[in-house]
Amino acid sequence: MELLVAQLLNGLVYGVLLFFMAAGLSLIFGLMNVVNLAHGSFFMLGAFIGFSIFHLTGSFWLALVLAPIPVVMIGIVMELWFLRPLYARGHMDQVLLTFGFTFVFYDLVQTVWGKVVLTLPTPASLQSTVHIGLGVFSAYRLFLIGFGFAVALLLWLLLERSRLGAMVRAGVDNAGMAAGLGANIPALFTGVFGFGVLLAALGGVVAGPVLGLYPGMDTDILIPAFIVIVIGGMGSLRGAFVGSLLIGIADTFGKAYLQNVALFLIYLAMIIVLLIRPQGLFGIKYADAPPSALARTIMPSTPRTRALALIALLALIALPFGLADYPRALIAEIFIFAIFAMSLDLILGFTGLMSLGHAAFFGLGAYSVAVLGAQFGLNAWLGLVAGVLIAAAGAGLIGFFCVRSGGIPFLMLTLAFSQLVFSVALKWRDVTGGSDGMPLAMQPSFFGFSLSHSLVMYFMTLVFFVAVYLGLRRLINAPLGHAFIGIRENEARMAAIGYPTRAYKLLAFTIAGAIAGLAGGLYVIYNGFISSDAVYWTASGDILIMTMLGGAGTLIGPPIGAAAFLLMKNVVSSYSEHWLSIIGVAFICCVLFFPGGIWGAVQKLQPAGAKP
Amino acid sequence: MLSLENVDSYYGGSHILHGISLAVREGEVVCLLGRNGAGKTTTILTVMGYLHPRRGTIRFKERDIGGLPPYAVARLGVGFVPQERGIFPSLSVRENLTVFARNARSGYWTLQRVFDLFPGLQARERNLGFQLSGGEQQMLSIARALMLDPVLLLLDEPSEGLAPMIVKEIVDVLKHLRGKGMAILLVEQNLRVALAVADRHHVMNKGEICFTGGSEELENSESVLRSYLSV
Amino acid sequence: MNVLELDHLHCAFGKLVVTDDVCLTIGEGERHVIIGPNGAGKTSLINQIGGQLKPAAGRILVSGQDVTGKPPSHISRKGVARTFQRNNLFQNLSVIENLRLALAVAFGNPLDVFSMAARDQALIGRARQLLQLTHLDGEEKCIVRTLSYGGQRQLEIAMALASEPKLLLLDEPTSGMSPAETARMVELIAALPRSLSMLMIEHDMSVVFSIADRITVLHYGKILVTDAPAAIQANERVREIYLGMAH
Ligand SMILES: Nc1ncnc2c1ncn2[C@@H]1O[C@H](COP(=O)(O)OP(=O)(O)OP(=O)(O)O)[C@@H](O)[C@H]1O
Ligand SMILES: [Mg+2]
Repeated sequence: MELLVAQLLNGLVYGVLLFFMAAGLSLIFGLMNVVNLAHGSFFMLGAFIGFSIFHLTGSFWLALVLAPIPVVMIGIVMELWFLRPLYARGHMDQVLLTFGFTFVFYDLVQTVWGKVVLTLPTPASLQSTVHIGLGVFSAYRLFLIGFGFAVALLLWLLLERSRLGAMVRAGVDNAGMAAGLGANIPALFTGVFGFGVLLAALGGVVAGPVLGLYPGMDTDILIPAFIVIVIGGMGSLRGAFVGSLLIGIADTFGKAYLQNVALFLIYLAMIIVLLIRPQGLFGIKYADAPPSALARTIMPSTPRTRALALIALLALIALPFGLADYPRALIAEIFIFAIFAMSLDLILGFTGLMSLGHAAFFGLGAYSVAVLGAQFGLNAWLGLVAGVLIAAAGAGLIGFFCVRSGGIPFLMLTLAFSQLVFSVALKWRDVTGGSDGMPLAMQPSFFGFSLSHSLVMYFMTLVFFVAVYLGLRRLINAPLGHAFIGIRENEARMAAIGYPTRAYKLLAFTIAGAIAGLAGGLYVIYNGFISSDAVYWTASGDILIMTMLGGAGTLIGPPIGAAAFLLMKNVVSSYSEHWLSIIGVAFICCVLFFPGGIWGAVQKLQPAGAKP
Repeated sequence: MLSLENVDSYYGGSHILHGISLAVREGEVVCLLGRNGAGKTTTILTVMGYLHPRRGTIRFKERDIGGLPPYAVARLGVGFVPQERGIFPSLSVRENLTVFARNARSGYWTLQRVFDLFPGLQARERNLGFQLSGGEQQMLSIARALMLDPVLLLLDEPSEGLAPMIVKEIVDVLKHLRGKGMAILLVEQNLRVALAVADRHHVMNKGEICFTGGSEELENSESVLRSYLSV
Repeated sequence: MNVLELDHLHCAFGKLVVTDDVCLTIGEGERHVIIGPNGAGKTSLINQIGGQLKPAAGRILVSGQDVTGKPPSHISRKGVARTFQRNNLFQNLSVIENLRLALAVAFGNPLDVFSMAARDQALIGRARQLLQLTHLDGEEKCIVRTLSYGGQRQLEIAMALASEPKLLLLDEPTSGMSPAETARMVELIAALPRSLSMLMIEHDMSVVFSIADRITVLHYGKILVTDAPAAIQANERVREIYLGMAH
């Protein structure tokens, strides 16, 4: 009994910490409709700056009051200079930009405070324990719960009792009109953003004595916080509060009693909520968000582009002969991820569905090759065929549930399903090797040539890359591809002129899944090894970033993005220990100076073919 | 109350308004007429501050408002009903009305008064903006502008999509507002509405004003009606 | 056979009844206009026929086949096409691409992954005919978002005509147009083949009377009266609740 109460208390503590994050996210993401992946960084910065202030002054309370100030200032600068120009550009650019910032902040924390786990001591006045009825409790934890509830009440008074929430939503719906009614929307947004950052920073400081401080704590709190507001309901403070406590308690109990399936249960819960109530438990079903600013008309190939493509292909054929083993291998990896990125682009850029779970299908393909080889001694090429089919089947099944929704619910559903796949890969150790991974039993040969030779590997991946590229180009220019683009542009109209749009979206999702499975299978053949990391959501995040970096909605963009991303990661990291910052800044610059991705910007330079 | 003098306005690179001059006094309804693309909406947007005039001056209550942003213009007492209505789809009817109404308590227009004016809206009070019918959105847009207690009202085709009966009511409302001393600048395609309420008409063509006169004058100038309004 | 038959149709949003026991038939080639106060449920009625909204009770028959509650794509294939009250087009695509999408599903093979969509001469020929019919020839390459408002309204009609429907649903085709554009639109609609049945919503009385064979007046979701134009014009109740004329 006492243990149960103690667990409940721990759950409440974690729930309150989540609430500090979720409340801010609810303002920024739920109300302002800005995807801020750097929100966890503000939490982390608050914690670390609080740590330093504590060590300088010796006072926890001073840290609690002072630490949020510089964090809020950073947040406001970010909003004013970087995010503001992106409000009208839709979620994709926001994801890329704020993702870049998370790299920069991560590197900053790592450089200043090191990589070891730090802890902030409990304030002296709250080090005692308290006896209440059922047992002995830490005073600090009780204080934390009380503090969280007090902040929640304050927020409720501020938001639900004033017109502030309605004003922000009005600004999101139609900023121009709101201005015409006398609202200074830019100032309002800066204020609300700063306030959200304040909440995160406060949460970070009070979390100090409970959670360890380490670079990486940002994502560890960000994802559960996103889950909270999606389950609770976007933009609903009540949802953020109830959701935080629910997830906090469920997570704590799950970890204590159901180690193996805890992860599973949270994501399953999210799937069920999203399928039954896409707007979340307390969310209101609003009008559909305005379509994203992705505005690209269909561009058929011309003799000039065909000539350029041929020259590029010849260059790719000639290239490896002048290179050493390592760069050849790196480019082969780029080809594989280019295939993966192009497959994502089919749903992201061409059909208009943002998925954060595409690594699941990459993983299905990869594990099919590895597991079928290990268990049944199946040749890797046959395994590859099986992998493509299994990935397609998986995508068909998962897609069946996901394509009912769109926008953010779609993003979260794909995330949840892929995390289920991840849990299986992680926990089914006998077969998959879990996080330790498993090797490929036997490397196949490629038309009699050994793939252990880097040149053979290079050309093998090049062949697949070119085949997928040409296949997708055909598809995009064919009636089916145009139908996908039509759905991206205006799904309701597509339905009205006779397209069963849900079936088409499922088809796109399945094709994309199959191609991702191909990439996964190739990756195992290339790498000789696969572990559960390849299916973790960050892998889905990376491929999303590559696609958007290069330019979603174009065919050449994703390969360019994959190349840029992997080159930066592999090359820059060997020259500078601040490679994370360099990549982060590169993302930020890309968003600011190349709207629509690298290739999107290049395309804009060319005279558009279809202007009146 | 409002005066434009030789205003030139650009949309991106294209020159839309060429030397527009007009004035609206207290208790007066001035109507802009003309074909699509003649520059009527651009004139309204320029007054509101969405576009800044490159040349000429815009004065409102003796103040030069030529460079002010829209929110500042609105706060000086200008109500705006845009052509596309600008309803906030995720706010309820009630929220749409009150969200930016700064002096809802002190001013003449209260929720009750606008609901009396448009009884259809009261029944839909809790519905979200995107659930409204086309005509209801139009009524809401007008009601919302009134909630700001403006002294100058800019209306861009208020009768569009409304049933004849409601159009008549709107004509009555505009007359009533004029009687209370409000200044109104109206863009209208519906000639009958224009003739019924306006004290003065400006017919625009290719960004210039090509005719100015009262209702009777307009009705009698066959050539203007035929060549610029195709009636 | 009647092209459209609404049989005791009911629909409500929560407590608000928008379609209340509506029975209506539209014969072949009939041009039927629905009028009624704002919020009477006219658009909601068209949304039910088009499949965007599911009725709570009653039946919708298209050429004798029950399509009640079917998705829009199914109803569209049964020969019903519609336009929207507010322009609802593919804003970022060109005029011809808009039409090609509509034509591909009706006459092409939209699942085709081999041919080049932009080179389908048969569809392009059809698209050009539609553009001519709707006075849009010359705007072929224009990106829809840069097309004039009136042009977009015309394209709405062209999109609906693309599938060669039996029944055309028009939701305020002239709203927001200048008198000149309205006149052209009326001319365009009047010139459509007589074999095409039409159900149109309209507030502009001069448009209504120049097109309608029969008129239905909707009031709070209920049919007040269905009759010939002359009879509607003379109807006291209609004058009172809709036209707002003195008795
Ligand atoms: N999704 C919805 N949820 C709730 N109420 C709705 C919804 N859609 C429409 N309504 C309400 O149903 C009623 C009928 O709407 P409808 O759009 O059919 O009117 P209408 O006759 O077309 O009017 P108008 O001439 O103004 O376009 C309106 O009062 C509207 O507010
Ligand atoms: Mg309607």
